[in-house]
Amino acid sequence: MKQSTSQTHECFLELNNVAQRFSAKGGEIELFSGLNFTILQGKSYAITGPSGAGKSSLLMLMSGLAQPSLGQVNMVDGSMRQSVCKIRERIGFVFQQFHLLPELNALNNVALPLKLRGDKRAHDKAKQLLKRVGLEPRLKHFPSQLSGGEQQRVAIARALVFEPSFIFADEPTGNLDPNSANEIADILLQCCEEQGAGLVMVTHSQALATKAQYIYALKDGSCELVESNKPAAMSEVANVG
Amino acid sequence: MWGNDIQLSWQLFKQERQQSHQRFLRWTQTVLVVFVLTLSLSSDNIQSYLTQNLQNLLGADAVLSHRQALSVAQYQSLSEMSDRMSVTQQVTASLNYNDQWQQVWLKGVDQNYPLQGQLRTTQQPLTGAGSVVGEATDAGPQVGEIWLDGRLVNTLQVPLGAQLQLGQHTFVFSRILLHEPDRLMEGHSVQMRAMVSAQDFQRLEFAEDIVQTRYLLAASNANVQALLAWQREVLPAADIYHKQGSHPLALFWQRTENVLGLASVILFFMAAIAIEQLSHVQIRKQRFFSAVCMSVGASKGRGIRISMLKWLWSIALLIPSAAAIATLCHYGLIQWLSDTFNGLSWQFQPATYLSSLALVLAVFLLFQLPVWFATWRHSVANLISGNGTERGMGLTKFAGMAVLSVIAIVYSDNWLLTAMIIGTIAICITFIVVFSWTGLSLAEKLSQRFSGLLPFSLYMMKQRLVNKSTQILGVGLCAFLLLFTLMLMKDLGDMTAAHQREHNGNLLVSQASSEQMDYMQTWSNEHGIDIRQVKPFVYAKLLRINQQTIEEFQPTPSDSMATMSRSIRMHWSADVPSNNRVIAGQWWHPQTENWQQVSVEEEVMTDLGLTIGDQLEFYISGNTATFTIVASHVYRSGGGNITFWVQMPPAARAHLDSAEFAMASLELTQDDWPLLGELWQKYPTLRMVSLQEMTKRFDDMLNMVTQIISGFSFLIILLAGIVILATVNAQERKEMKKNSVVMSFGFDRRMCLKLNIVEWTVTGGLAAFGAIAGTYVAGLLIYQSQFSLLYQPNWWWLLSTLCLIMSAVVGLGVYASKRSLNASIRDLLAEN
Repeated sequence: MKQSTSQTHECFLELNNVAQRFSAKGGEIELFSGLNFTILQGKSYAITGPSGAGKSSLLMLMSGLAQPSLGQVNMVDGSMRQSVCKIRERIGFVFQQFHLLPELNALNNVALPLKLRGDKRAHDKAKQLLKRVGLEPRLKHFPSQLSGGEQQRVAIARALVFEPSFIFADEPTGNLDPNSANEIADILLQCCEEQGAGLVMVTHSQALATKAQYIYALKDGSCELVESNKPAAMSEVANVG
Repeated sequence: MWGNDIQLSWQLFKQERQQSHQRFLRWTQTVLVVFVLTLSLSSDNIQSYLTQNLQNLLGADAVLSHRQALSVAQYQSLSEMSDRMSVTQQVTASLNYNDQWQQVWLKGVDQNYPLQGQLRTTQQPLTGAGSVVGEATDAGPQVGEIWLDGRLVNTLQVPLGAQLQLGQHTFVFSRILLHEPDRLMEGHSVQMRAMVSAQDFQRLEFAEDIVQTRYLLAASNANVQALLAWQREVLPAADIYHKQGSHPLALFWQRTENVLGLASVILFFMAAIAIEQLSHVQIRKQRFFSAVCMSVGASKGRGIRISMLKWLWSIALLIPSAAAIATLCHYGLIQWLSDTFNGLSWQFQPATYLSSLALVLAVFLLFQLPVWFATWRHSVANLISGNGTERGMGLTKFAGMAVLSVIAIVYSDNWLLTAMIIGTIAICITFIVVFSWTGLSLAEKLSQRFSGLLPFSLYMMKQRLVNKSTQILGVGLCAFLLLFTLMLMKDLGDMTAAHQREHNGNLLVSQASSEQMDYMQTWSNEHGIDIRQVKPFVYAKLLRINQQTIEEFQPTPSDSMATMSRSIRMHWSADVPSNNRVIAGQWWHPQTENWQQVSVEEEVMTDLGLTIGDQLEFYISGNTATFTIVASHVYRSGGGNITFWVQMPPAARAHLDSAEFAMASLELTQDDWPLLGELWQKYPTLRMVSLQEMTKRFDDMLNMVTQIISGFSFLIILLAGIVILATVNAQERKEMKKNSVVMSFGFDRRMCLKLNIVEWTVTGGLAAFGAIAGTYVAGLLIYQSQFSLLYQPNWWWLLSTLCLIMSAVVGLGVYASKRSLNASIRDLLAEN
């Protein structure tokens, strides 16, 4: 296994010898094992693979929603290293089904995480982000009055508004037509880059995956870096097994 | 196709049966079925008992009852219409033995008594062990003899053969009275009883005005009909009971039943809230099912048909268990009521089961229709997209209101109370809606500058105002109904003490003639006894309202009507009495010469549907007099507790040739009580009742009321719990999503729990404001008019009870939300 870590980035997620297994009727099934790689803040990653390979499970482990059967997922920030489960407030999500709250308009949906944190400028910040994703004229519209693409833009703005270090996106364009998907993918990547957030996308879409700086393929229990748009010094290769 | 549908519907029904919304719906329906079935079964049981009772205990084919003895001509006419006749006379009098006195219902019987049925007596002393059958006796007491009932014998501790004093006359106690065949005519009176011969009764020279005379007649059906026509024509103020007619207690029971029925409006109202909340989930699931049916080529109609079959399955399984519980409750209730209705026993009534179940099923169907309607009205696109649920929800609310209106109309006999209950609920709803909107908007505005959980919760609640308002409304109404019921129970309990506090004397004279009153004045002066109030009256019986009989004018039975169909006390007063307040019309000038005007109490006005200007024709001592209603008054506490329903100007007295009586209240010290024996010996018919005796009567009544209200509170608590669970269930999907989304912002589950607690506290707080305000208004409206109580809310009690209720609400709410608190981001991810 080869691994190198950027010296220029202070914050990254680190997977150490991570494995995931679950019990089934026929005995124990191993989804993957021996995963070792890092996710850098400010970079974009795509994880592809066939259905059932364990992409969503890997996303849950990386985001601290689930504990691995073996190994650790830590966040390293400067000299501080702690389990990812303990820094959940620095992680945001974008879902395939958008999951906006139907009773709130676009502005209130985006302001929600800031309101919960007691930010007095919640509405101003939400407005700015909605403007950034091109929805300024639709601030007062409710989810049911927005198209799928527009709803996903709101969801992206909502995920970014509290300035998380990492964003995890599960098939973020899975519910959209190709044109909208392309547009949304660009917005998502640009916004993450502008905000300096690390982006991890799980997708079947090759078109979306190619937009990421790093593409990993999860297949047959291993996860391999298949493409890197950046110089080798900026990225790492994960080798399984 | 039907076979497949039935099979499929059964399969789907089994799968859905354990889902929480179906469980809550089942609980609500069970409570309603049990309540309605128990009420109907018990009611029919009592009605059938009364009919049977009428056949066995009238002691004649017909009985004519009148305040005075008939004239010779009238007596002659009556004889012609009957084969045989017996005359009895009754009066309340006091009996003395060994310096003890006891008020009794004294009956004088002629030589023809008993006319029909058996008069049973005994000469064996009562031991108290088991019931005594005694022997059938052919005739009443001989001259100089008196027969006493068992309770009277025990109270006075008088042995057979002893001599008793009645006024200035002495009687020998010769037999114990066990059963009178015409006992029915005494209604449900618990007064102690004594019997003498008609000759002795004459000898006692009671004033004619206070003696009740009854004519027991043996007559054919044709003669009974002729008698009825004759009575309407010649003696409109007399009452007639006959074997083909209705029991004197039937109307009393019907009114009780109506009050209970009206109370059921409250239960149905709560059930309507629960069902409305659950229908959100039902409509969503039904629409989803229809969309699936259509996506596989089935028609929309078929989807609805399967849904209807599912509903029928649920009803078919619900009915047996609910009917079994209702049967047990019915049995228990009949056992309890058998103390009031002697000889009442449990009966199986299949027809009542069927008719009551049909009624309840119709109500359930009405509640269910909006679900099918909502599915039917939506296009395929709507069904798939999930838009446009509002029409169905609107109809659910309409269905709920329709059910409540029908129940109110069917059961109401007291329009004032009905209007007040419905009006109070409406006011409470308005309060809660206004509090929710203004409270949340204002709080959200004010807390914008602050950070933390509370401002965020207020913000979220404000954003979800419509959903939250329904939840707050449900909880608030439950809290209001519960609070009001508990408050009423407590205040009725405190009423005894309040009576004592008012200090209007500890002895009430309910009827004294002028001569008796004059004597009492002298007697009280002699012994230094304080007479607190004296109010004169004449007896009058209402015959017609605006030239129509009472039944023609107002066919709906009511408390007021029942009282007005008997002789009432009419008082005269130049000014508005200090314990009355005029609320409509204008009281007469103190020196007015226009004597034909009256003021009528507000509740009587409402129950009989009277208005200012209506004409009332009264029968007063053999003559009729017509009065115009010029004012309406209500009782006002603080100025004594003797009040009258109908009052007229003093000028009327000169035009009415009638015996004058008075009501009075006296304050007796402990040493004064033995002096009453002397008073009663002189005037055996003087009607007096001590405060202790009144308190005891009141305690007995209160005990019964408390038991009924406790049972009712239990049902309210049960339904309130279901309403809370239903509102949580209806919002569960949204709550789960909200919690998952909140967690996706990097928060943990504890944060969601805190948010939930804050939301339930705010919900409970807003509902509490509404409940307190609603209870206050209900107290103001209902206490005064229905219970003659001055409403003085005990704020500490109200607030502490409310805190207790709200703590339970928050606890139950948070507990019921535990499923939505188990939500996770995984659920959101899994929805892909």
